[in-house]
Amino acid sequence: MMTDKGLYIYCLAQGNQEEPLELRGLGGQPVMALLHRGLIAVVEECEAKSIQSEDQKVLADGLLIHQSVVDIAWERYETVLPFSFGMVIRPMDGKTAGENLKGWMERESEELRGKLMRLKSKAEYGVQVIWDPTIVLPKIRHNDKEIQDLEKEIQSKPKGVAYLLERKLAEIIKKRLEEAANVYFKDFYQRIRNCVEEIHVEKVRRENPPKQMIMNLSCLQEKDEVVLLGRELEKIGKIQGFDVRFTGPWPPYSFA
Amino acid sequence: MKLEMNDKDLKQGLFGLVLAIVEVIRDTLRIQALKRMEGGSLTEDEINRLGVTLMELDKAIEHLKEEQGVTEAVRSVREGLDDWVDSMVQGLTDPYGIAPSRQTNKEKGICT
Repeated sequence: MMTDKGLYIYCLAQGNQEEPLELRGLGGQPVMALLHRGLIAVVEECEAKSIQSEDQKVLADGLLIHQSVVDIAWERYETVLPFSFGMVIRPMDGKTAGENLKGWMERESEELRGKLMRLKSKAEYGVQVIWDPTIVLPKIRHNDKEIQDLEKEIQSKPKGVAYLLERKLAEIIKKRLEEAANVYFKDFYQRIRNCVEEIHVEKVRRENPPKQMIMNLSCLQEKDEVVLLGRELEKIGKIQGFDVRFTGPWPPYSFA
Repeated sequence: MKLEMNDKDLKQGLFGLVLAIVEVIRDTLRIQALKRMEGGSLTEDEINRLGVTLMELDKAIEHLKEEQGVTEAVRSVREGLDDWVDSMVQGLTDPYGIAPSRQTNKEKGICT
């Protein structure tokens, strides 16, 4: 069946039956379940080359198909080890892609089983905390003598000096906001950490000014025990000037 | 990849890039001016003249950005520069992406 073809791999799971998933994948081919000693690789036959396109839309559509196949596999097998978008197993050293894949599953069997065990019944949740510094700033300003003194000084100076002092004030405010964001980060991190199994801190993304993302987390938690996290996030979202985005459950991409 | 571009795109892109660089230089001048002011080596009159000059530079940059319709282009170049500097710093300080922030609770020995 598989000769010079490659195999696009979506995810791994544990199971004993090689039933097809009854859906078509990225290349329009049937998505198959390749069984090897209690491990299942969810794959699709494809050309033995990397998935490449200069068209962003083609890539974005491909990514969505990849995610939806992983989602369906996740529903069927409960626990999956998702692969990143674009992984193709090639035929090599006189072996078909399928044989290579099975060989790899055989060699890594123990580690793969360990990872699947760790992810059993768990899901990934995305948590992003966004703040509006313009709402938080008055509180900081009210308690900061250096800022208050500088604001008074600016009013009494000629415009050139006032301009430079305003820049200095802007730098101090920026620093104070960074310090405050850091304190909030530590507090929220601690609170969220107590509600989940594992946390990854991801890079923050840019928001529409003046809003800023101060925290972007991927959290791993049992699907049935996510209520506690939801409650904690609700409390954080009620703090004036803060918004919380909570997404999921997702297959555990960040923890595979 | 075929790059489609007309004269207007080229002019806006180039102008956006030039003004973004001018802004970066202006920011550096501001930092230097603040250091001099704090250092106490300038008289109040000299500080005032320095401030007025930088203020005029601000106004000129803002005027040019609006007149040429490149406010967005400048912002985008500066954000790109910020991201590039971020990834450079990240690459230098944590080349293998193993900073503590990426560790799991279990790896940190934290019990949840």
